[in-house]
Formats: sequence, structure tokens, C-alpha cells
Amino acid sequence: MDAKLTEVLQFFERFKAACLRNDFDSANKLLSQLKVQLTEFRSLPPLFENSRNAIHELTVARDIYEDAVILSVKLEDQDAFERDFFQLKPYYTDVGNRLPASPQQYPILGLNLLRLLVQNRIAEFHTELELLSPIDLENPCIKHAVELEQSFMEGAYNRVLSARQSVPHETYVYFMDLLAKTVRDEIAGCSEKAYDYLSINDARQMLLFSSDQELLSYVKEDHPEWEVKNGYVFFQKAKESAPCKEIPSLQLINQTLSYARELERIV
Amino acid sequence: MATMVSSAGGLLAMLNENHPLLKLHALSNLISLVDYFWPEISTSVPVIESLYEDEGFEQRQLAALLVSKVFYYLGELNDSLSYALGAGPLFDVSEDSDYVHTLLAKAIDEYASIKTKAAESNKEAIVDPRLEAIVERMLDKCIMDGKYQQAMGMAIECRRLDKLEEAITRSDNVQGTLSYCINVSHSFVNRREYRSEVLRLLVKVYQKLPSPDYISICQCLMFLDEPEGVASILEKLTRSGNKDEALLALQISFDLVENENQAFLLKVRDRLSQPKSQTSEPVQPQPTEPDSTQSGSGTASGDVQMSDSSRTSDANAIEIDPSEAMYAESLTKIKGILSGETSIQLTLQFLYSHNKSDLLILKTIKQSVEMRNSVCHSATIYANAIMHAGTTVDTFLRENLDWLSRATNWAKFSATAGLGVIHRGHLQQGRSLMAPYLPQGVAGGGGSPYSEGGALYALGLIHANHGEGIKQFLRDSLRNTNVEVIQHGACLGLGLAALGTADEEIYDDIKSVLYTDSAVAGEAAGISMGLLMVGTASEKASEMLAYAHETQHEKIIRGLALGIALTVYGREEEADTLIEQMTRDQDPILRYGGMYALALAYRGTANNKAIRQLLHFAVSDVSDDVRRTAVLALGFVLYSEPEQTPRIVSLLSESYNPHVRYGAALAVGISCAGTGLSEAISLLEPLTSDVVDFVRQGALIAMAMVMVQTSEASDSRVGTFRRQLEKIILDKHEDTMSKMGAILASGILDAGGRNVTIRLLSKTKHDKVTAVVGLAVFSQFWYWYPLIYFVSLSFSPTAFIGLNSDLKVPRFEFLSNAKPSLFEYPKPTTVPTATSTVKLPTAVLSISAKAKTRAKKEAEQKAIALKSVTESSAGPNTGKGKSPSEKEGDSMQVDSPTEKKTEPEPSFEILTNPARVVPAQEKFIKFMEDSRYVPVKSAPSGFVLLRDLCPTEPEVLSLTDTPSSTTSPAGNTAAGQQSSASAMAVDEEPQPPQPFEYST
Repeated sequence: MDAKLTEVLQFFERFKAACLRNDFDSANKLLSQLKVQLTEFRSLPPLFENSRNAIHELTVARDIYEDAVILSVKLEDQDAFERDFFQLKPYYTDVGNRLPASPQQYPILGLNLLRLLVQNRIAEFHTELELLSPIDLENPCIKHAVELEQSFMEGAYNRVLSARQSVPHETYVYFMDLLAKTVRDEIAGCSEKAYDYLSINDARQMLLFSSDQELLSYVKEDHPEWEVKNGYVFFQKAKESAPCKEIPSLQLINQTLSYARELERIV
Repeated sequence: MATMVSSAGGLLAMLNENHPLLKLHALSNLISLVDYFWPEISTSVPVIESLYEDEGFEQRQLAALLVSKVFYYLGELNDSLSYALGAGPLFDVSEDSDYVHTLLAKAIDEYASIKTKAAESNKEAIVDPRLEAIVERMLDKCIMDGKYQQAMGMAIECRRLDKLEEAITRSDNVQGTLSYCINVSHSFVNRREYRSEVLRLLVKVYQKLPSPDYISICQCLMFLDEPEGVASILEKLTRSGNKDEALLALQISFDLVENENQAFLLKVRDRLSQPKSQTSEPVQPQPTEPDSTQSGSGTASGDVQMSDSSRTSDANAIEIDPSEAMYAESLTKIKGILSGETSIQLTLQFLYSHNKSDLLILKTIKQSVEMRNSVCHSATIYANAIMHAGTTVDTFLRENLDWLSRATNWAKFSATAGLGVIHRGHLQQGRSLMAPYLPQGVAGGGGSPYSEGGALYALGLIHANHGEGIKQFLRDSLRNTNVEVIQHGACLGLGLAALGTADEEIYDDIKSVLYTDSAVAGEAAGISMGLLMVGTASEKASEMLAYAHETQHEKIIRGLALGIALTVYGREEEADTLIEQMTRDQDPILRYGGMYALALAYRGTANNKAIRQLLHFAVSDVSDDVRRTAVLALGFVLYSEPEQTPRIVSLLSESYNPHVRYGAALAVGISCAGTGLSEAISLLEPLTSDVVDFVRQGALIAMAMVMVQTSEASDSRVGTFRRQLEKIILDKHEDTMSKMGAILASGILDAGGRNVTIRLLSKTKHDKVTAVVGLAVFSQFWYWYPLIYFVSLSFSPTAFIGLNSDLKVPRFEFLSNAKPSLFEYPKPTTVPTATSTVKLPTAVLSISAKAKTRAKKEAEQKAIALKSVTESSAGPNTGKGKSPSEKEGDSMQVDSPTEKKTEPEPSFEILTNPARVVPAQEKFIKFMEDSRYVPVKSAPSGFVLLRDLCPTEPEVLSLTDTPSSTTSPAGNTAAGQQSSASAMAVDEEPQPPQPFEYST
């Protein structure tokens, strides 16, 4: 084992310790250093050079990135999550068959699916799904995300919210909370279009809030254009009817005439 | 196996990391992966761009390179280039990849277009210094790698004359590179001014060489219109005392004459005499003085050049100093050549002695044409004139005086003018030949005005572009008459004789005729003014335009419109305002003139803008005349690239509008004239059987122009076409129009005794002014038949004429490395009865088979008996062109063609100076190494000076001795009598035919 690898391993240990201590600042710093050190290994993606220590190095790198992903969830930093996940991905897809399986793999894949769902990036969600094998889909972590998506699409929002109780991994909680918010936004958007107004009571039920207070603070924060008076919520203001587009008749007539002229010129 | 990464996502994510080292790592890896993952990377371009724009980021250039590559893959070359420029030195010019190649091409294009735009608007170019650096790096690299041609091409494109010079001087074969460069500048540099700049540079480089190529320099100088330079070179060469250099000077003179730029040649000639007296006076004041005054008075009198020059040589003979005498002698020669007289004389002799015209064809035409049909009658006269153009053979007319007398009025005009075509170039005796028909002084009243007018026109045709001696006479005739027919003839004659001289006095004379507002005279005056001012772009054009608006006569407007077009000949962009003015005019006739202006201003440039404009008018103008002319004009614009024309007009030739079809036919005829181009023939073939009569006419004429001098052996369709012509002419029910076309076509097909072709470009790829102008006016025959004769201006003899230092034609043999049958004269037609026997070849098969076996046996016997002799005898046999079997064939006429085929045809032919060398044959011409004479420049045709390797031995001259008029300075008539006295020697100058009278 060469010196560089040992150094990385030492840093990694310190990083893991910092994570356990919930000392996120120093963990972040260590992670950054680790990543820089990893760039020096030629066996890592995208070069994948074969060397004596390749397997070992790859495994270490993968572990580092897995921990980095988990750290980002703890930090509730979605950008970092995305970044780290993408850097981790080649270790699963490209060299997954050469490395010993990681226990973290399915939870992290599931997390990523969940993240896409939260960010309402349904297309990418399905792309990711297509890349998984049927066996992978059976895994509870993945299955959870798939079921959530189905409920979400069906409009069975209550099922989505209740799924929070049955998370397969503790890291999922953060995303589940976010998902509840996404669901609520979806419902709010629909109600806006569907109703002119709603009674506060109905609105609370509709938006799956447990108390009027929560509803009012939600309206205040996210939908200041809604009006609450006399026990009703009015969506009137938000509805600004867009004028329908006019047919560019003059332009069309001109075009047709010019075609006719051109046709005459054909020799 | 190494694992491939399946996505660039990881690296892209890394770009968003905070640590700069990570970004750098990501960037450098992405650059190596961009070829595969550019679709993925393209979504992250904004991120990379922001990296590039981040001033603090150290590896900005790396980011720029990456973005540039992504844009390249996305097809956004402009963005790609701008980022590649940002990448600075990281963009490796020498890298061998599609990316680099494409971007370099793009960069050079960009740079060239910036430079060109700047040069055209006369502003200083604002060029991105980085762009400039890349282009320079590329140019330097090309020069370093020895790719001089690329470097030169780029340098010319980019207007970097400094780099051009560098490339030329550093190349290992400077001569070759220079001539390449001249070619390039003529074919690819579109703007005239810039081309001049390039050529000026080339001349500069040429002059720096230890052994300059004077022939090329002089060609350049001629394009630049710098007669002083040419004159000084000629003088230097002749003064050097070296015989070879003197020969070279003569050669240069001939080459200059070939371009037919009369005004320029006159300037060179005048400049030549001037410095002679100045430079030599201080050294040897006494002997040169009388000489200089002599030549001075000679040019002043300017009547008959030849007598003057011979006098000069007489004066020189008295001189004491031998070197000065030698100089004077060669100067006389050069002046003779520059005045065009030497070449005209030699051509005349060649055409006369080699005349192979087939009178039987004319006879057939004459017999089949109805007596009453005056159109066909005069068409036959035209055909005769064209067939014998420049040969001085007027046997046909002489034999058919009765028939000829049927020509009345304008037909008589053109019959008389036809003599001018036949005697074209007969400078010395032209006037005496035409004397019986010319107006007889002020008293007049003798002949009909039509024949008088025709005679004046004929004089113009004889002296076309060499009118020094005849101008004054024509002017007087013009002034002394009020008859519009005579004025018409005189105007045309003057225009032809003074072509392009821009003589103010003549112009004023013609103008006064124009202002009489007579339709007939005014038309000719308009054309004549144009001829006089060819290519001068003078402000006279606006004067003419103003009168065209004023007058009521369509004929005058048309004449003026063409005249205006002629004034802008070859001026390219300079003519744009005038063209714009004419093409926007209300009057269709002026728009029609505008088409000609476009055609002539951009003649032979294949300029895209001009082509686009013409095509636009060809499909959008309301007047049929304008549309027809627009298509026709394409032929003029494209004649330097004849292969293009059939492609460009092929759609137009299928137009529903017969005028457009007609134009398409003539366009092909003009631009592919004399090429025998297969595509052109294929395009014209269906048009010769068009439903509309005038389209057939145009197609037949055009086809004849294309096929001129193409033998049946090289394209079988020539034979088909000849038979088709015969059929049309013999057919009683054929339209007059197409019949006329067929008659003219037979004339053009055998033009000039089958020894000339239509050529618009000289051998050095310069345009021949006279030829182009001739064809342009010729195409007017749609309105005015006598203008058909202008086609004779475009004829150029297809001859190799070798000359020794005395400008005489010595006996000299050279090789044509091709089967003789490919380029031989068409067989003379036989008496009509023979045609029936040709149809039954099967009947004689058995005999021919026997004959074959007999021939074989004979050959075997010979082979056994004279093994060694046969080989040596093969040469002379082929030299004669007729094999012994031919003699046998005389007795058994039917057999001879089949039998000839069985005999293996020799693969070469020995030609004797002067020889007919058709354009297609030129590439087969080889000079023999052991010959006594060596050509100064190895040109396969035209006038070539020969260096005599054994000057002491007596020379055998094959053509004429000396031109009769130079030997006998006493006068023309004396020469005529002399030659008639010396009977029928073939080599002799043709005697002037006896005048004949119309019996009307």
C-alpha cells in the first residue's frame, strides 16, 4: 500500500470521526481535501487505469463519496447531494461489478430517486429508474421511492404523506418532509385553478393541514396572493386570464400571396 | 479491458465544487472526453462559460477550449471560433483533427471576409489580433512545411500580400510558384483592383529574380495597363545583343498581340521609339538622329504602316554601328508585330494555303434554297462569307454571279460586306479590293448606296482592330454622304477599324450622325460609338443614355443600349452604377442593354453576383427580349469556365418560354464555343428539334459554334449534326427560320476554311477583346442580319506557326501524339449520288472481306520480304496522311472506308510548320529533341519563335518567302501585279481577285 493511499485513509478516518461527532464544518473541510487527493489516483474515473491497488483505491473512493452523500443529506444541502451523487455514480455503474457490493448502495440510489421526486424532476426520475435492473427494483429502498411516485402521480396525496411513517432508512426523513411540501404545493396549485374560493375548513382538509393556524401561516408564506376573509380563502387574484392569442391573419395572407407570386416565376 | 466511463455526469458535477483544483481536474478530463460526451456537456456549457469569464480562475483558457469544442460539435462554428480564440495558445494549429481543421478554415474565412470587406469600403480593418495571430501562425506553418501553394492561396484570400511575397520568395521553385500565382489571381480574385495589386506584386517579385520570366511579366504588365514597363523590357531584350533574347522579345510581342488590346499595343509601340533616341543620343548622336526623325514622321503619317517601317530599315542599313543597326532592325520587327500586321499577314497566308472549305456544301445549299426566299438566299451568302473568312477565296461568289445578283437592297449591302469577311486581314490590298464598290468621291452616283455602304462595312471588317491605315478614309466617306445606308456602313466600319481606340474626333463624327435621328444610321452609330469606346468606361455613356431616352426610334435606342454596354467592357464593379441605372429603366430596350452591360462588364469572370442578377432577370422580367438576353448574357459571364454553363442553364433550356430557351441555347453556344464539350452538345441536341422555329435556329447556330473543328472521330454526334443540317436544308417544308439557322450553322461549322475556331480566351487565359465584342454584336443578328458578320471577329486560326528570327517560316517538324483521324479535316462531301451507296454497306461485305484478306496477305509478304524497311517507311506514310490503300480505294470507292479501318492507325502524326493544330489536339503536341529548331517557349499553337541551333546552314522556308508588300515598298498595286505575274505558286501571297459587277 503506497503512501498516498494511507494518507487518504487517515483523512478518511478523521472525516468519519467528524461526521459521528456531527462536527460538520471540519467534516466539510476534510471532505474537500479528500476529494482533491482523490484526483491524483489514476485508477479512478474517468481514467480507470488498471493498477495493483486499483480495487482498493476504488473501494476507498466509493466509500468516501457515499459518506459525502450522506453528509450532504445531514446538512440538508441538495446541491452538494447532487454533486456528490454524480461523482459517486460511476462507481456503481461502471465498476460496480469489480468492487465488493456496498451496503449503502440501495439507500443512496433510493435517496436520489426521492430527491428527484421532491424537485419534481419526473423525467430524470424515470431515466434513473430505467437504468436499474429488475432485481434492484425489488429492493425496499427503491420500491419505496417507486411507490411514492405512483401515489404522487395518481393524486393519492394522503398515501404520500402517510408513507413518511414507513421510511426504510433514517436519512429519508429529510426528503419526506420536503416531499410533503411538494405535495401541498401541487394541491394548492390545483385548487387555485379549480375553485374561486374555499372555506377555511375545506381548505385545511384539502391541503392536509391539521390546524387552521398552520394553513394561515402557509398561505402567508407561500401564497401571499390568496385572500383570507370571512372564513373563506379567495383565489380570485391569482387567476389572471391570459388573453388568447390572435391569429396572425395579415401575415398569413401576405405569405400566401408571395408564394403565388413565386410560383408564377417558376420557369 | 480498460473500463470506459459511461457518463460525464460525475466530472460535470465536479465543476461545481468549490476547490479550484477539483475544477481543473474536471476540466482537463472533460477535454479528453468531449469527443464522446459532448451532448452531456452541452447542457453544462453555461457553467463552463462562467468559469472562462471568471477572471480569477487560472485555467480560463482550458475552459474556453472545452466550450469551443462543445460548440464545434453543436455546429455553432461562430461561437466555437470565438472561444477557440479565447483559448489562446492551447488551440493547437498543427493538431490533426477535424475540429482543428474546421476551425482553422473558419478562422481563415472569417479573417478573409473581414479583410475583404474592409478593403472594399476603404476602411482600416478592425481585426481581432488573436484571429490575426492564428491566421499568421497557419500561414507560417504552411510556408515552413513547404506547402507554398496553400500558403499563397490563403495569403491572396486574406489580402496579406506581405505573406504572399514571403511564400513566393521562399519557395523552392519560384518560377513555378509565380505562374501558379498568376493563374490563381486570374481565376479566383474577383475584384479587379485587388487583382491588379496582386499582379503588381508579382511583377515586383519577377523582376527581383536572377533570370526573370519576361513573357509572364509582360502578360502581367498588360493586364495592369502599363505600357512603359513592357516597352522597357522589350527594349532591354533587344538591346542586349544576345540573339536568344532578341527572339524572346519577338515572342513577347506576339503574345501581346494575341490579346488584341489595340490601344495598349499602340501605346507600347509609341513608347518604344521614344526612349531610343533619348538614351542613345548622348552616346551616338549622329547615326541615330535621322532614324528617330524617320520613325517620328512615320507615325505621324500613320497611313500604311508597312511602307514606313521598311523605310526605317532602309535608313538603318546606312548606319555604321553594327549593334545599333541590329537593334534598329529588331525594333522594326517588333513594331511590325505590335501593329498586328505580321501576325495578320502570316495568318492570312496560313488560312489561304490550308483552306479546306468544301464548295460542294455551299452548292447543295444554293440548289436547295428557293429562288424567291430572300432570307435563305442571303443566309447562303453569309454562310459562304463565314466559311471562307480570312481565306481570300471568293470562288463561290465568282462562279455564281447571276445567282448573286438576286440580292437587292439590304441583301446587297450584306453581300458586299461579306467580301470584307472573306478578305479579313488583307490589310494592304483591302482598299483596292473594295474599290469598285466604294463611293466614288463627292460626285458619286455610280453604284447603289447599298453596295457602297456594304463596302465601307467590309473595309471595317478587313481592318477590324487594326484600322490605322483606313480610319481616315472611312471618316471622309462618313462625312461626305447623307445617304443613311452609306452612313450605316461607314459607322459600322469605323467602329470596327477604330475598335477601342477612344478616338475623340471619330467619336464626334459618329455623334453627329447619331443626332440626325435617322433610324438606320442611328442604330449603327450607337453600336459604333460603343465599339470605339470599348472598355473605357468613359462618361460618354451617360451622354448616350440621355439620347437614348430622347429619341423615338427603337432601332437607335437598341444601338445605343448595346453601345453603352460595350463601353463598360471588362470594368467589373466599376460598371455597377451604370448597370443598375440601365436595368431599372422603364424602357425594355434599355434593360436589354443592361443585360449586355452585365455580360460584358463581367465577361469571363464567372462572378457570382452577376450570375445571380442575370438569373433573376431571366425569370422575372416582363419583356421577353430582356429575358432572352439575360440568359444569353450568362454565356459571356461564364466563358472562362465552359463546363459550368450547361449545368447552370439546363433548367432554363426546358423553360416554357421559347425566348428563354433560345437564350439558353446561345449561352451554351457562346461560352462553350469551340470546345466540343459533350454536356453542351447533349443540352443543345433536343433544342435543335424544338417546336418553335427560332429556338431551332438558335440551337443550330449554337451547336455549330460548339462543334467548330470537332472531328467526327472524337464525337460521333458531329456527323449526325452535319446530316441533320443537310436534311433541314434540303427539306422543302422546313420553316424559313430554322432553314436559315441550318445554313448559317453549316457556315460556322466549317468556318475559315476549316482552320479557325471560336476562341474568347487567349492562351494565357486573358480575354480577347475583339472576339468577345464580336460575339456580343453578333448575337444582335436577331434584329439585324448584317451583324452576323461580327462573328468573324471571334475566329482565331488554329495553327502552329513557327518563325525564325527573320520572322520567316522555316521548315520544321513536330509530333502530334494522337491518332491522325482524331483531328483530321472532315472528309469532303461527295456528289449527292454517293449518299445512296453509303446506305448499302452490306452489299459489298464479301468483296471487302476478300480485300481484307488480300491486304493481309500483301502485308505478310511485305513483312517477310522487307522486315527492316517497313518500319522505316511507316514514318513518311503517315506523314502524308494517305496510305497506299487509299490509292487502291480510288478505283473501288465503296471499299475504301472499310478497308482503311482494318489497317492499324498510327498513334502519332508528324506535322510540318505551319500546321493546323486544333485546340483539342494541343495537349498531344510534342517537339522533337533532335530537331534543328528549338521553340523559345513550348506553346503547342499560335506564333512561336524558333531558335536555330545551326544558324550557319541555309534554311529551307516552307511558307511564303517574304510578305510581298515589305519587299516592294513601291506600293500595293505593284505588289499585286508582281504576284499575279509570278503565276500560281501556292506559297505566293494571294492575288487580288478581279472585281465583279452586279448585273442589276
